[in-house]
Amino acid sequence: MEGDTLGHLLYGLQIALSPINIFYAFLGCLVGTLIGVLPGIGPAGGMALLIPLTYGKEPASAIILLAGIYYGAMYGGSTTSILLNVPGEAASVVTTLDGYQMARKGLAGPALSIAAIGSFIAGTMGVLLLMLLGPPLARAALKFGPAETFALMVFGLSMVTSLAGKSLRRGLVSTLLGLMMATVGTDLPTGIIRFTFGIPKLMEGFDVVVVAIGLFAVSEILSCAEEMGKEGFKTAPLGRIWLSARDFIQSLGAIMRGAVLGFFIGVLPGAAHVTASFLSYTVEKRLSRNPERFGKGEIKGVAAPESANNSAACGALIPLLTLGLPASAVTAVLYGALLMVGVRPSPFLFQKHPDVAWGLIGSMYVGNIMLLILNLPLVGLWVRILRTPARWLFPVVLAVSFVGVYSVNNAPLDLLLATILGVLGYFMRKLDYPLAPVILGLVLGDLLEQALRQTLMISGGSILPLVKSPICLVLFALAGLVMVAPRFIYKKGVKLEIES
Amino acid sequence: MKVGAERVGAIFATLVGAGYFYEAVTMPDVSIGDPLGPRWFPMLLGASMTLLGGSLALKAAGEEQGSFGLSSRSWGLVLLLGLYGYAIPMGGYPLCTFLFLAVGSGLLGERSWLRCLAISATMSALIFLLFTKVLDIPLPVGFLAFLGG
Repeated sequence: MEGDTLGHLLYGLQIALSPINIFYAFLGCLVGTLIGVLPGIGPAGGMALLIPLTYGKEPASAIILLAGIYYGAMYGGSTTSILLNVPGEAASVVTTLDGYQMARKGLAGPALSIAAIGSFIAGTMGVLLLMLLGPPLARAALKFGPAETFALMVFGLSMVTSLAGKSLRRGLVSTLLGLMMATVGTDLPTGIIRFTFGIPKLMEGFDVVVVAIGLFAVSEILSCAEEMGKEGFKTAPLGRIWLSARDFIQSLGAIMRGAVLGFFIGVLPGAAHVTASFLSYTVEKRLSRNPERFGKGEIKGVAAPESANNSAACGALIPLLTLGLPASAVTAVLYGALLMVGVRPSPFLFQKHPDVAWGLIGSMYVGNIMLLILNLPLVGLWVRILRTPARWLFPVVLAVSFVGVYSVNNAPLDLLLATILGVLGYFMRKLDYPLAPVILGLVLGDLLEQALRQTLMISGGSILPLVKSPICLVLFALAGLVMVAPRFIYKKGVKLEIES
Repeated sequence: MKVGAERVGAIFATLVGAGYFYEAVTMPDVSIGDPLGPRWFPMLLGASMTLLGGSLALKAAGEEQGSFGLSSRSWGLVLLLGLYGYAIPMGGYPLCTFLFLAVGSGLLGERSWLRCLAISATMSALIFLLFTKVLDIPLPVGFLAFLGG
């Protein structure tokens, strides 16, 4: 990828701007947005479902179509998170914290607009960074062995635990609950079945979409159903549709920071876009002069995670395009799709198939513009969903959410699980146990355990690699700092009330 | 149902942690070249949860307790959701969704039965067609399979 980057980019844009590829990028973005809006399917599942659409197409066109679905779905997930507190996929969970609160205050329009604009800016920055920093970053990511991955996961969990909630202990209970849920199922290294209580379905473990919908959507509707019985209950007002210049200026810093942070985390293996959205949110909260506004409808709480997850989508392409390594579920589907069209991802992809590699990069510029054009005019339409009377809106949201839950594994037990988790989520809300760390614990739990076990296997049981690696030391120090710092801040009189 | 809030929550966390820890301890310890094996990480989590839950319960013991509980409307919705999930494989998605929407909206305050039936029928058909025809995601049709859904 060294050499004439601008020339290569122009070549990529030439491919991406051919009428047929513009059409495929548009189709991908449209279908991707729809998949993102509907809960349960998620970007990886959506892309896998739609691989047959790529049959018989040129490799560059096929990959442009799938990439459109990828970033369309990443954006679309924010819509239901903001309007209905239903996260379409794991990375959107954090968007619910402030996005839904904005919607309840009549600011759904500005929340959706900043999500679209933030995604556009971050996506474009991500593509630029992908072009400029791809190869050196891919080499740096290779230095992340199991010990460093473990330290990174500890850091991510400690960030979210320390800031999500009024009490550190309650935050820790939520994180531990998520980690415990992550251990349910088959232990892959040994084949031992853990914590399934004889239920065969649990051998595959908990699906994050099922848990997210249960904990967030079902519990929210149960809370609202209760409020409906009380005097003074009102559905969310329609309020302001468009984003003000002040909102945009306020959010710009969060978008930029989210874009950069998201991109660099996206390069790392694992659940990068989920980690990126959680971390960017906590960073913004940490930097804010008014952290108490987070969780209550702070626009930066929407801008940062939405920017980070779109930028992470670009970062995640680096290991695939420069090393031929799929580092996430989505890039694994892209990897499979490339193989199907006769292109083997490898460190020589840019030399052997410049049309595919640069065409994809070019199409990402085009796709980001397309997403903005597609989604901004729809903001007004989406916001009108909130006009639906609650007695109809809630059952319909549950019915659509349940299709999402069911479609993950075609398992009726998942529906029951989502209901039980909804009741659990309801009580957790009432008792001030934050919900977001449960999801992050569930997503990172398996990676955390495997990274620790691999580290100890390589070292023959010694924990020295965890304390000898400078990367680990820095990450552990940061993790300790973020756990301890809020207590000092609290003592100075700054009240940290963050959880929604 | 009213629940003594803080303490019950903390005791519940303690019990979950203790039960989980017990399950982890009684798990077969297979560790071929793996110093930790499948037990140690869960044991660590279970022990931490038990201790944290216990400390929260002790802290709550000295505090004034709030109380809250799910309303009968919310319990009705929970029961309806459970039945809905249970019935979908047999009754099929379109029919069960129709019934769920009709009963659910009635439970949440819809008083016009005509509107109830019309909206439930339209929405269940729309959702079903969107997923099965547009997105090609199979949903169970139950005993309506003879209609060729």
